[in-house]
Amino acid sequence: MKRRHFLISAAAISAGVTLMPRMTFAAEGVIDVYFTSDQNVIDFWTNVVKPKFEAANSGITLNLVDGGDGPGVAAIGDRALAALASGADPQADLFEGYDTRVNAGAIDKGLFVDFSTAGLSNYSKINPLANDIPTRLPYRGSQVLLAYDTTKLDPANVPKTWADLVTWIKANPGQFIYNRPNKGGSGGNFVRRAIFEANGNDPKKFTVDNFTPEFAEEALTPAWAMLNDLAPSLFENGAYTSGNTQSLQLLGQSAVTMIPAWSDQALSAIQQGVLPETTGLVQLQDLGLPGGFTYIAVLSNGANKDAALKLADFLLTEEIQSAVLTELGGFPGVSWDYVAADLRERFADIIPESIPTFPGGKWETAINDGWYRAVAPNVDPAS
Amino acid sequence: MTSTEAGALAPAPTQRKRPIGLLLVAVPVLLVLWLIIWPIISAVIQTLWLPTPDGGRTFSAESYEFFVSDPYSRANLAITLWTTGVCAVLLLVICLPIALYLRFSNSKIAAYVQGLAIFPMFVPSIILSFAFIRVLGPNGTVDLLLNSVGLPKIKSPYLTPWGPVIGLVWDNIPLTVLILLSGLGNVSNQAIEAARDVGAGRFALLWHIILPRISNSILVAISFAVLGIFSAFTLPYVLGPAAPEMMGPFMQRTFRDLFDPTNAITQAVITFGFCIVFGLFYVRSVAKNRTP
Repeated sequence: MKRRHFLISAAAISAGVTLMPRMTFAAEGVIDVYFTSDQNVIDFWTNVVKPKFEAANSGITLNLVDGGDGPGVAAIGDRALAALASGADPQADLFEGYDTRVNAGAIDKGLFVDFSTAGLSNYSKINPLANDIPTRLPYRGSQVLLAYDTTKLDPANVPKTWADLVTWIKANPGQFIYNRPNKGGSGGNFVRRAIFEANGNDPKKFTVDNFTPEFAEEALTPAWAMLNDLAPSLFENGAYTSGNTQSLQLLGQSAVTMIPAWSDQALSAIQQGVLPETTGLVQLQDLGLPGGFTYIAVLSNGANKDAALKLADFLLTEEIQSAVLTELGGFPGVSWDYVAADLRERFADIIPESIPTFPGGKWETAINDGWYRAVAPNVDPAS
Repeated sequence: MTSTEAGALAPAPTQRKRPIGLLLVAVPVLLVLWLIIWPIISAVIQTLWLPTPDGGRTFSAESYEFFVSDPYSRANLAITLWTTGVCAVLLLVICLPIALYLRFSNSKIAAYVQGLAIFPMFVPSIILSFAFIRVLGPNGTVDLLLNSVGLPKIKSPYLTPWGPVIGLVWDNIPLTVLILLSGLGNVSNQAIEAARDVGAGRFALLWHIILPRISNSILVAISFAVLGIFSAFTLPYVLGPAAPEMMGPFMQRTFRDLFDPTNAITQAVITFGFCIVFGLFYVRSVAKNRTP
């Protein structure tokens, strides 16, 4: 049984290594960047932002860390908040794709840099559509759209309104799937589009502050009815993938004909061959599927705060903002006047006049819980 | 050295070693107390002494009442029990023949079979999940192979309760086979040959000679598998249906997406309640083994 002994000791050693306290301190000149976004965004930073920034600022390097998702980086934020109170080193400098509101009381205590007074030379270029609170700096936008297989669905017949989409899904049972709304924005924003549809297609009706359980009940119940109505016509009579990537995988395996997908993720998937070149992309014309801007936050107590601010300013330069369009397939965080003129021309068709957004906060919890209770269980996928 | 000398020398070192032995044991025991027992106690306290609006805390079984009265939560617990039960049965059905083969075969192939049976241990479950979608998922490898010989596609288990079952069984084969194999080491070749000499058939051999000697190992193997499967996360999360969800994904979602730690901890305590039963099985069988 030597093999077994080997296995047991190998397991013990690896367990011991993970349990050992890690005594690391933020290194001078190394900006620790934590990501909530998917791999395609981290690839963009690795291949574009990091080399360009490091070339322009010798002596400063970027350490890109995948934080998993929002709550994953929020835990780092909590650690930084505790470090702020004790004057310790938070071992983090910049958060990508972050909502500074999630760490209770952090903004009031000054954990995050206020960009409006940080003296960034490019701050005035920010797209007014994207501006949120001053501790959040928008640097890219993305919107959910429909990705479909042009070999099975002629682009001329592709649904362009919500009503057409519903008709198409019902006429082609098993050919559409969206992911669970809490497991990725593509399904999440598809569900939110249904909520807009059930409430007169008016995104202004929902704000972070107007959440009440009664209003949520009134606004969400008809949306759940709409989605339940779709369920039997979905893939496997009402199955839901567990993330953006899994939806792309099903489209790639030609198991379904159409999915909602993030514009940037779909474009990079096509570029990398994960999705075939015959993949078509379309946005609904009556009201687009929601999307939003992605924000960065800089920790005021980070060891490399000044370098991180330099990086934040660098992200808003024309060079990076144009790359967001060409390399990432996203929208710039700055006004369109500040990207290269030829790109402005080229992307004129997809420049959104407005991206419908759905507020987070309590709405998010209500949607996540409500969907799981009202929509997910109604059909037994095993049947 | 004669046996008498050895016998005379033996007791003294045992007595001297005792405090050292206790010290060696103290480290893991303290770690268990600190990292496992204390969190359990604190979880039970947190879910029974709930905060009141005026800032104090009061005894209340409210979160447990909610769990029991909520059909959605009950369905999640039921699917977890179902998955665990089905996996345990399948593991036994699959692993016992493998272990028997490995124990009694002298051929060269046995080494390869053992290697293959241990292989899943080295595959991280997230990689297993995506490989599963590629192979058994819709239009996956199996479908392509079937299609190439003109057979119809399989009904894919992806996103149904059978998805996690297949993944978890595959993932738990190595541990189960190893534990059963070590149990089969207790079955002596002489006992088998003696039984064969008096004319015992293969089935009688298995039922009367082998199984009674490895019943303990079976119990341990099943306890270990059940403990792992009951709280499994990645495979049910990626391969299972959106609802009902197993307790692992359900807890994670309640905690991180619904920002509801009290109910998440309540679910954890209930999960722990079920797991402790199998933990006790394990402890009992180990204790039984130790006493002569």
